[in-house]
Amino acid sequence: MIDHGASNDRLAALMRAAQAGDAGAYVQLLQDVTARLRRIVGRQRQFLAAEDVEDLVQDILLSLHAARATYNPRRPFMPWLLAIVKNRLADGARRYARGPAREVHVEDLDVTFLAEMTNTVTEVGDPEALRQAIEALPAGQREAIEMLKLREMSLKEAAAASGTSVGALKVATHRAMAALRNKLTS
Amino acid sequence: MTADTNRILERLAAGVEPVRPLATPWRRAAAWCGVSLAYVGAVAVTMSVRRDVISTLSDSGFVVEQMAALLTGVAAATAALATTIPGYSRKILLLPLLPLAVWLGNVGQSCVQDWMAIGPQNWAIAEHWPCLVVTIVAGALPSVAMVLMLRRGAPLTPGLTLALGGLAAGALGHFGSRLVHPLDASVVVLVWHIGTVLGLCLLARLAGRHFLTWRSLVQAAD
Repeated sequence: MIDHGASNDRLAALMRAAQAGDAGAYVQLLQDVTARLRRIVGRQRQFLAAEDVEDLVQDILLSLHAARATYNPRRPFMPWLLAIVKNRLADGARRYARGPAREVHVEDLDVTFLAEMTNTVTEVGDPEALRQAIEALPAGQREAIEMLKLREMSLKEAAAASGTSVGALKVATHRAMAALRNKLTS
Repeated sequence: MTADTNRILERLAAGVEPVRPLATPWRRAAAWCGVSLAYVGAVAVTMSVRRDVISTLSDSGFVVEQMAALLTGVAAATAALATTIPGYSRKILLLPLLPLAVWLGNVGQSCVQDWMAIGPQNWAIAEHWPCLVVTIVAGALPSVAMVLMLRRGAPLTPGLTLALGGLAAGALGHFGSRLVHPLDASVVVLVWHIGTVLGLCLLARLAGRHFLTWRSLVQAAD
């Protein structure tokens, strides 16, 4: 407790100096705080990768800097800092929860292809013929192909969007794929 | 990534400038109240103060309502400003509840008395757009001043913060409009005055996440 109190006093003194424009004190404060933040965030977000923890630490540091005028020099430093940490972690959790829905995962491929195998041209067929074949499908099958194959929706999402069951969508997709295969290979 | 963090530390430290710590929420609320009341007074004079204002001062119901509205405004402003200070006790959120309860209770009691006196068949909610306009005009500058003050703090709870700010500005707007508008019919006060204040609160709450963001605060500090 004594250590915590002394440490808190030291941080409060550094913050007061930083508010007065002392860059040296500010560097010391930020370095001390950064080490603490890595421990706090790492402990509270054990499921995150190291770079995500570091992103959160950086967010908190920028927030601390932006909100430094809200620190009351007569009050202890750590409760002020921890309130910002708690708030930014909650924001981070919301972003983390939203992230997968908005991200498109791509293969981490090299920009240039040295291996000969990767330079082979894939047969992609005639896109215009494919477009016409899809347009010629019955409405239900066309909708299933558009949602599941072109827009890459999940079965659940597509079922919710079209108002049909997952089973009906599977059947429609299967029939549509068979029809397309027949049309494009004939 | 650690190298990025080190670069951020260097950038922040290199650009550090002296900042004046914000005054306590109480002092800031007092300053806001001073400016806002001067404006509300000017609006009341410009729109002409009701002729019976002297005689209404002897009406205890009117005086209690006005005092409760004023205290609600001050308490809500203090609470709103306190919510932008990291680590400030959340108990401050209870502060506006008592004057707000007195204010709403006072108007509610008048409504009940009117209902019993004139009966439900004569108890119609007439349109009183001037009430709404005067409340909005009187609350305009307090609203703008409150948003500017809140944007200097940390956006910890943007929706709640702006809802409290809206309540503060609306309460002062109501205080001003009651000095201008001669109607004391309780149902008119309830629907057109307090309804406007609550509508302002709701709008402010919805606007919170757009007006008070960490991104804008960080950009302003850069």
